Amino acid sequence: MNGPFNSGKPVVPEPSPQSAGASPRARKPKEPLPFGKTKQAREAEKVLNHIVDDFDDNPKAMDYFYDLFRRVYCRGETIAPDGPLIGTTCIQAPEELIYAMGATPVRLCNGSYHYDQIGAEFMPSKSCSLVKATLGMLTSDDPVPRVGKLDLVVNPTTCDQKKKASAMMQDMGHAVFDLELPNVKESEASRVYWQRSVRSFAEEIRKVTGKKLTRKNLKAALARTQRAEKAFRVLDGFRKASPSIFLGKDAFLVVNAYFFDNLDNWCEAVERLNDELKIRYDNAVRAAQKKAPRIVFTGSPPIFPNLKLPLLIERAGGVVVSDETCSANRMLYDMTAVDEWLVNDMVDSLADKYLKPCTCPIFTKNDDRRRRLLELVKKFEADGIVYQAFAGCQVYEMEQRSVAKTLDENGIPMLYVETDYSPDDEGQLSTRIEAFLESIKTRKRMRQ
Amino acid sequence: MKSSLDGMAPNWRQRLTLPRGMRDAINGVDFNRFRFWLQIFFFVLLVYGGFTGLNLGNNLPTFSCGYNQNGRPGVCYLLPLQHQLAMPTKALLGYASLTILSGLFIFFLWFIVLNKGWCGFVCPLGTVQDWITDLRVKMGARFTRYSQASFETLSWIKYVLLALMIVIPLGIGAGYFSHDLGAPYCMICPARLIIPTLALNFDQLVLDFSSPGKIVMTTLGAITTGLFLAGSFVKKRFWCFFCPMSAFHYLLSKPAFFRLIKDGDKCTRCGDCYTVCDLQIKEIADDVKNPQIMMDDCIVCLKCVAACPEQGALKATFAGRTVFESTEEGFIKRMEKGTRA
Repeated sequence: MNGPFNSGKPVVPEPSPQSAGASPRARKPKEPLPFGKTKQAREAEKVLNHIVDDFDDNPKAMDYFYDLFRRVYCRGETIAPDGPLIGTTCIQAPEELIYAMGATPVRLCNGSYHYDQIGAEFMPSKSCSLVKATLGMLTSDDPVPRVGKLDLVVNPTTCDQKKKASAMMQDMGHAVFDLELPNVKESEASRVYWQRSVRSFAEEIRKVTGKKLTRKNLKAALARTQRAEKAFRVLDGFRKASPSIFLGKDAFLVVNAYFFDNLDNWCEAVERLNDELKIRYDNAVRAAQKKAPRIVFTGSPPIFPNLKLPLLIERAGGVVVSDETCSANRMLYDMTAVDEWLVNDMVDSLADKYLKPCTCPIFTKNDDRRRRLLELVKKFEADGIVYQAFAGCQVYEMEQRSVAKTLDENGIPMLYVETDYSPDDEGQLSTRIEAFLESIKTRKRMRQ
Repeated sequence: MKSSLDGMAPNWRQRLTLPRGMRDAINGVDFNRFRFWLQIFFFVLLVYGGFTGLNLGNNLPTFSCGYNQNGRPGVCYLLPLQHQLAMPTKALLGYASLTILSGLFIFFLWFIVLNKGWCGFVCPLGTVQDWITDLRVKMGARFTRYSQASFETLSWIKYVLLALMIVIPLGIGAGYFSHDLGAPYCMICPARLIIPTLALNFDQLVLDFSSPGKIVMTTLGAITTGLFLAGSFVKKRFWCFFCPMSAFHYLLSKPAFFRLIKDGDKCTRCGDCYTVCDLQIKEIADDVKNPQIMMDDCIVCLKCVAACPEQGALKATFAGRTVFESTEEGFIKRMEKGTRA
């Protein structure tokens, strides 16, 4: 019976004969570092300090968000959820359903280089930093943001990397629900398919919370996200002001906070910010130089602490006036219209909102994305576009060509940047960005 | 008042600092309620207006049903048209052609004022369908939709009905068909049974056994009315999808004053308009090339405009002037009202 399986018995270490303190020479058990000293906390703190201290005249109301990130990312505080906590790995998971049935959503997409490195063991070397970082965070004992124990992870079947991450998350011990998203969004068949997916998602949440979806709780949930979307749209409106009264780095921070913050607190904080921006606008307070190049940001999403590219743009004298990314604009801009306020119609309308306007590159066609970029440039009077593609995010890399062509036809300059979460390329990137902004300024001068 | 009218990016400064003008008030209106009351007004006018002696003539482009003899303030053009077409072919080629052309001309004049807005706001049969829908919503029942394939097939029925409505009377005049098939569309139109009944005239609620043709036509009429009542309970604006008047309107709609216009550049294809569309018109959300977005099934109820969150992406214009357009504020106001109710 000495087969290989028997001999492979795990060796149970003998209990150490030395009791604690018996010998001063004995190796001390490794004590966990105080949270603030951990790598991920230091990484977050460094970026946060840069966002707060290296820019003049930040809006007062931004303090709520600076403080929030400091508490959650640097000090490791938890935001207590109401009811079960449901993690989402993409914006397509209808959060209204989660709220309605008494759970709290938290978006798991992570922006930390530290977790990117940890997550690297799950994915091939040339994979998207975001997916790796999310896996890295989920596998950590002490993740940031402190999402706590997840009762369910909803994984919309978007890009290949996220699809494959599903099984890995399951292996880590998470309960994962694959929310089936179609690859084509134009056809009526895909719409119907998606509406069914969303309904089965609602069923799944009911299993977690034990609460039924009713007309009343769904309407209340819709009212809550409606408030957030409205606050976001007002904020978005202020970014049209020229010269700019609000910087993109702060805008990204505000929407990134939406990932994990308490919804009502977030709405209040944004409404306060909007009030302050209104005063700034009326008093013509400027957040950037009058001739600062106005940039629309597109491509792979900047997620705190990886605000590398927006920060480089704004340090170099540009302003990110708008974006087409799923960590900001695409997450909160679109609003749900309901015709008949019955559960079925509300759920279908929600499903539509999460599918039809989505400009995610995982879909077959990207006409909507290209049209959206043109419209954003027009609406925000932008001078150019910066396109970020995470190395390994094939879909964004593949769309580069068609987007560049459309923008070229419309005379809009674009800078395509392939990067990842590593800080190594900052020097090189800052040179490229400075050159790009300089060329925009020259173009503007020539035109006048 | 010109801010976002002329295709320029909406001027944000003006929008924030201008006192809320009349335009804002119109664009922010609780549209469904406004339409509900306007429909009641037209319903009363077209079903009971005749009792006051009002007479708007015989060429109305909407179901002011001719069988509602005392209540109607004018007659739906389809009834006189079918009668005129059934005149002997010889007469048709002679003096009667003038009668037909002048009737058509007056019909056309009425029509171009509101375009298919006649369907979405004025038509009493449309209004009845909306009330049945309201009843269903009150009962908490959901509506059904056609699959895309059925939609495309069924969409032809209105043209077939329109063709039959012209060919059969011509056949009667030429002597091929019996006069019992006179006014064939009216015989199967649910309005013939429903509108007079609502004006307390029950004369049409009979199966006419006087001749085989009459038996067939009145039986068909009873069947379509049953279908109408059941259909509009489960499908919004069930009958409009098959209505030959709707097809007729569409064929003449090019020069109309009242229009539904879409600015595709501003559209995010979020599908909000499509979600609320009673007629399930997919193009309203997906077509970003064609500014003249009124499709053949459209009833210009303007629910899509009210449900569009993008500034100026959809608008209703009258002779080139915007009368109602989609706005962010208006959208938010209307949807907030929905979640609060």
